[in-house]
Amino acid sequence: MIITKKKDFKEFLESIRDYKSFFLIGCSECASLCGTGGEPELAAMKEALEAEGKKVTGTMLPKTGCQTLGTKIELKKDKEACAAAEAIIVMSCGAGTQSAVEIFPDKPVFPSNDTLFLGNMTRFQMFDERCSLCGQCILDKTGGICPVTACPKGLLNGPCGGTNEGKCEVSPDIECAWVRIYNRMKKLNRLDDMKKPLRPKNWAASRKPATLIAREKEEVKK
Amino acid sequence: MSFKSALESGKFVVTAEVGPPKGTDIKKILHEAEALKGKVDALNVTDNQSAVMRISSVSFCKLLLEMGQEPILQMTCRDRNRIGLQSDLLGASILGIKNVLCMTGDHPNAGDHKEAKAVYDIESVQLLEIVDSLNNGKDMMGNELKGATDFYQGAVVTPESVPLEPQLIKFEKKVTAGAKFFQTQAIYDIERFKSFMGHARQFPVKILAGLVLLKSAGMANFMNKFVPGINVPQNLIDELKNAGKEKALDAGIDIMARHIRQLRDEKICDGVHIMAIGAEDKVPEIMERAGLL
Ligand code: SF4
Ligand code: SF4
Repeated sequence: MIITKKKDFKEFLESIRDYKSFFLIGCSECASLCGTGGEPELAAMKEALEAEGKKVTGTMLPKTGCQTLGTKIELKKDKEACAAAEAIIVMSCGAGTQSAVEIFPDKPVFPSNDTLFLGNMTRFQMFDERCSLCGQCILDKTGGICPVTACPKGLLNGPCGGTNEGKCEVSPDIECAWVRIYNRMKKLNRLDDMKKPLRPKNWAASRKPATLIAREKEEVKK
Repeated sequence: MSFKSALESGKFVVTAEVGPPKGTDIKKILHEAEALKGKVDALNVTDNQSAVMRISSVSFCKLLLEMGQEPILQMTCRDRNRIGLQSDLLGASILGIKNVLCMTGDHPNAGDHKEAKAVYDIESVQLLEIVDSLNNGKDMMGNELKGATDFYQGAVVTPESVPLEPQLIKFEKKVTAGAKFFQTQAIYDIERFKSFMGHARQFPVKILAGLVLLKSAGMANFMNKFVPGINVPQNLIDELKNAGKEKALDAGIDIMARHIRQLRDEKICDGVHIMAIGAEDKVPEIMERAGLL
């Protein structure tokens, strides 16, 4: 899921200082699990804004905020509340925010969160990054552990000289990705795979902005 | 004799290291380099060592050449993408730089520009492959070069790395990728180094044992605690301690000279790489005590 973190409230207030009335949009998926844009956070934001003398014309929790068309349809029922607001606040990720930008071409849209990474939830509201969306997955060659993400240098051919009893030179809080890969490959009896050199990554595979049409072209034409 | 021919002739080779300074005042480093002239077989020039921004390695290598010294260009993958690295390699080649040491490089987090974007577009094994391909007249994409390079390429290895096996796997990959010589991370336990050499000797590469000059017991303890892959045995720490504050550096020089003698006399490896870390002026003395001068 996409991991988000609330912006510092003071800084956030600064960003919306020119406006008085807002419609708030959360997201029932990732932002709810992150505690940054679910029902309770929408309610808390409404209260906090009102305490600052701002007006909240309504709140809405779309099913999936980054699903632009779906969110647009869901927002129909809030037409008046939206119209009454000078600006929109989106309490999900950068993608959800830009759904709103598309849906409201005439209104300013503000994010209340910082969007951090694609994460795995390990325990309640604890997240770590395991995939950095490189566009050409090599997990088949690295024992299922991603060095592009888990190694701060993204090394593809084994540990650097800084590896230290299983810890990473960059921080003792990081397990050395290549020791993890080694341990796992050894357990799976696949150390021979680790001996095969990996070629430089093709960064063109993750060139931005990416687009994808996953369905048949014919269908799109219709 | 060039560094390459010295190594290939079977001579016990000595390299040392200079770190270009931060700023354009190079009097001190030129002086250090001058003092090593005619004594060491080649001088490594570090590449923004510890991720601290300094004078570029290529330009300082060129100055060494003008002084009649043979440089080993250290090249890390931290700051340049594949275009930058290849371009700098071609540039180094036309300046007459012959030796290149391919390394990954310390993370920017260790240095004085912590907010820098870490590049690592490619890494040490791949950089070795790139050098090999430039030597063969092609860039890494297989495009023809107008004029090939003629580098003697090396790499680094950490014989005391814990766990060791992943390090050895990478060592082997570097050999396959074309490394001709290795300079190791600092070693202090010659017996353990012998067992590493037992492994390394299977491969047709030259190995220079890395030696860092110990200046005090405190320094040894610090390295044991904070520098990955360095392990100074207690008896050496005691030796430094017993020498007393005044004589600690002298004891450190003795330790290194003794190690060099043993490595050479027992033909354990092909040479040594001396890292005096701020005491480059002591290198001739170390070499004298080791019987190399
Ligand atoms: S290799 Fe690429 S796609 Fe696969 S997990 Fe790593 S970053 Fe994600
Ligand atoms: S210590 Fe391990 S995880 Fe950290 S940068 Fe080096 S190889 Fe990567």
